[in-house]
Amino acid sequence: MSWPTSIAKGITDMNNILKGLQKDLLHLPRTHPKRRATAIPAMQALQAELGYLDDAAIKKITQITGLSTAEVEELATFYSLIYRRPTGRHIVRICDSVCCSMRGADQLLTAAEEYIRTSLGTVTPDGALTVLPGICLGLCDKAPAALVDGEALGPLNDASLKALLQRLQKED
Amino acid sequence: MGTILIDGHIIPFKPGDNILQAALEANLEIPHFCYHAALGSLGACRLCAVEITPKDSSKAPRIAMACLEPLEDGLEVSISAIAAQQVRQHVIEFLMINHPHDCPICDEGGECHLQDMTVACGPPYRRYRGRKRTFSNQNLGPLIHHEMNRCITCYRCTRFYQDYALGNDLGAMRLRNEVYFGRFQDGPLENPFAGNLVEICPTGVFTDAIFRQHFARVWDLKTAPSICPHCSVGCNTLPGARDGTLRRVRNRAHPELNRWFICDRGRYGHQYSEHSARPLAPRASGADTSYHDALTAAASQIKSAQDCIGGLGSAREDLEGNAMLQALLNTLGGIYTAFSDPELETATIAAVSSLQNTGNAPSLAEIELIDAALIIGDLTAYAPMIDLALRQAYRKGAKLALLHSSPTPLAQFATTAMTVSPQEMRTTLSRLYQLINAQSATEDMTETPMTDIVASLMGARKLLLIGAIETLTAQEVPILAKLATALGSDTRLAYAFSGANAYGAALLSPAGSAMVMLEAVEAGQIRILIVAGNDPLGDSRFGPRWRAACRNLSALIVLDCILTATAKAADILFPVAAWTERGGTFINYEGRAQGFAPVFHRPEYLPSVAEVITDLGQYLGHSLQAAPSVLGDIFSDFEIPKPGTTGSLIIAPSLPMPTTPPVHSAQESCSSMWQAALTSWYGDEALASFAPGLMVLIPETVAMIEPTSAIDAGIKNGSQIKLRGSSGSMVLPVQLNQGVATGTIAIARNVLAQLGVGHGDLLELEQVL
Repeated sequence: MSWPTSIAKGITDMNNILKGLQKDLLHLPRTHPKRRATAIPAMQALQAELGYLDDAAIKKITQITGLSTAEVEELATFYSLIYRRPTGRHIVRICDSVCCSMRGADQLLTAAEEYIRTSLGTVTPDGALTVLPGICLGLCDKAPAALVDGEALGPLNDASLKALLQRLQKED
Repeated sequence: MGTILIDGHIIPFKPGDNILQAALEANLEIPHFCYHAALGSLGACRLCAVEITPKDSSKAPRIAMACLEPLEDGLEVSISAIAAQQVRQHVIEFLMINHPHDCPICDEGGECHLQDMTVACGPPYRRYRGRKRTFSNQNLGPLIHHEMNRCITCYRCTRFYQDYALGNDLGAMRLRNEVYFGRFQDGPLENPFAGNLVEICPTGVFTDAIFRQHFARVWDLKTAPSICPHCSVGCNTLPGARDGTLRRVRNRAHPELNRWFICDRGRYGHQYSEHSARPLAPRASGADTSYHDALTAAASQIKSAQDCIGGLGSAREDLEGNAMLQALLNTLGGIYTAFSDPELETATIAAVSSLQNTGNAPSLAEIELIDAALIIGDLTAYAPMIDLALRQAYRKGAKLALLHSSPTPLAQFATTAMTVSPQEMRTTLSRLYQLINAQSATEDMTETPMTDIVASLMGARKLLLIGAIETLTAQEVPILAKLATALGSDTRLAYAFSGANAYGAALLSPAGSAMVMLEAVEAGQIRILIVAGNDPLGDSRFGPRWRAACRNLSALIVLDCILTATAKAADILFPVAAWTERGGTFINYEGRAQGFAPVFHRPEYLPSVAEVITDLGQYLGHSLQAAPSVLGDIFSDFEIPKPGTTGSLIIAPSLPMPTTPPVHSAQESCSSMWQAALTSWYGDEALASFAPGLMVLIPETVAMIEPTSAIDAGIKNGSQIKLRGSSGSMVLPVQLNQGVATGTIAIARNVLAQLGVGHGDLLELEQVL
């Protein structure tokens, strides 16, 4: 997975910290606040490794945090940047909130779906891409905007979107 | 205390209340969804909009959510203001956007809060023409049916399940308009109070899956106030029947006991009365017969046996049935007791006696307010609703100390949980008593859990000591009572009895008579045994002795509504009415006498135990008094409590503390180091074990051993061991469990019965390679 360098480094750091923490955490009582507090960083770290959180990953989080599977699932499904389904090597989140929608985000989403020939939220057969609608990125001045592998882009139009998707499909 | 003005009515309020609470208290209905008296305000549904007129007349009136608006004296509120009505109408319209129009086929129809609110305040027509949001449902097990499309996201389910009942396997998933209430994966809900979701959900997301199997429209159900027969708490219930069958049981609020909720044993255990093997026709000499012929056969057997007769009532049989049986035995000169297990008899009588001496047990509402408790045994299995009350106390910060021999769900909430083997329980309690009497916790580090318990008990103002009687012996009960006295006058004592009417049964049974009766049957001095609602042959510790002894009988006469081992072995069997099919009185763990009314009648003639005994008396030529006057003779000024009322404490002559020596099973020959401990679960009860829906959830049959003692003995998790008791042996897989005491093997009731051992008896263990 190609994350922008800063994010990738952040995740590696986080992973290392987490591995260190994990040892200490497991000695704490299951309900210790420190254990519960690691839930989201732990999910982010695991996702950085696996691309998404499968059921086994959720169970791993329960062991680290002392939360129940339902409680971890509540958190995992609440945050839209935590993925519970397989993702492609690149994730394109096209903002569909008010400004972007007014500036043609809905058409962009349809166009992207047609171009990659698979529905939103699924992975292209070559494993390269997942396109998703996203919530407001705060980039209303660049509407319609998108978050591509953690990097914000905009404004997009049909042509620039196609070029973007084409480029991402060729990349590793 | 002040007053507010709601639509011109002057309404008083208590400090800390909000507008909605004050209005509901005064019987003024403000439409609402997410507010619930037990769960409080959330402000999620936005339905309880009211208009508030500001004191400053130059300002415009404002809309506020009644459930979130604090009260101040002189506040002027309008429920009927046009602006408030419009807000409520819009809220309903929004909620109905995704709600399916499936009321005609929805199980909730007729008692649906959403339906009521939509009719009361919503727009008459739907404007929205778009696609509705749809979800996949989950399989939540045999008891609860899930239909997520009907959800209006009031969060009542997770607030009850996670915050109130402290369950952790149901959650609010996802976000925005996709919020989904469910489990991580398909599977039965694990909490013993999960069935309350059916009542707490204001629409049809969670419905009763057992009722659904044999559904009737709720307005067609016949109901009457009843009392739950499945444990000694005596929760008030409202069973519903139609066409001569019982369909469901719901909660009926009692201000001091079950207020909004009941446990799943109480809600789903009722299936015992619909069990396919339930005896419905009298049987004599192995063939179905008529009621008249069965009575004639029983009377002639009793006449021919002359004075050699015993009567075994039951702790799950109502007060009338037990009293009439006792009256018949008095007339015939025989022995009566309500207990088949002599140890349980002495322990129960000792407990009732100590309750009479130390003041009555606290109600559930009082238990919720305690700030420390000492719990002996697995309360969840013997009185699930006391467990729920203690969970509320825990939520408010109460410190729970726990002494247990086998795993118990309350351990996860305990400040100090200490595993104690059954045989060490007495010394542990005595040591606690010593420490408390010494008035200071010793600093001895080897006693850390004990000193912690002493500290938490002595630091508390409102204290509860509670034990599960079935796993306590008659020697431990008085120690608990002495502890209560030593801890001061504010300390409350309670026992979770076995059987809905155990308290009443103890008042009627002379101490030691169970042993006298068993020995008399063994010696052939009793030739006829009348058993009403009891199962001596299925008992775990004394079952083998009763089975051998009953071969000496010339006739075993059984009255019951379930097919127990004893009912199967009966020479003459009288099927009797189940508790929903007759009226009667139960005395609960507090000593509260509560009446229940017949809900319906079956096509078959099913009399109550009291009626069968009265008829039998007539066939014998003795005209017994009616049950109320029999009870009036025993308990002065006793009046049969009216069903539907809150009941009152029974005034009974005080019982002497039994001095009967403990019953030791002959185990000197057993050289084993392992003790048996009874492990139970919330569905484990004589009647509920005939409820198929509940029995699907029965825990796997395993031998649970504490990890360290297992390692010392070279036993691995999952390996097979052979257990041998006085009457048999059984091979079981091992499950290592921290909740079991050292040197103890925790096994289920049916395994104990097969091995012929009781809680605390020694077991021989052999590894199977």
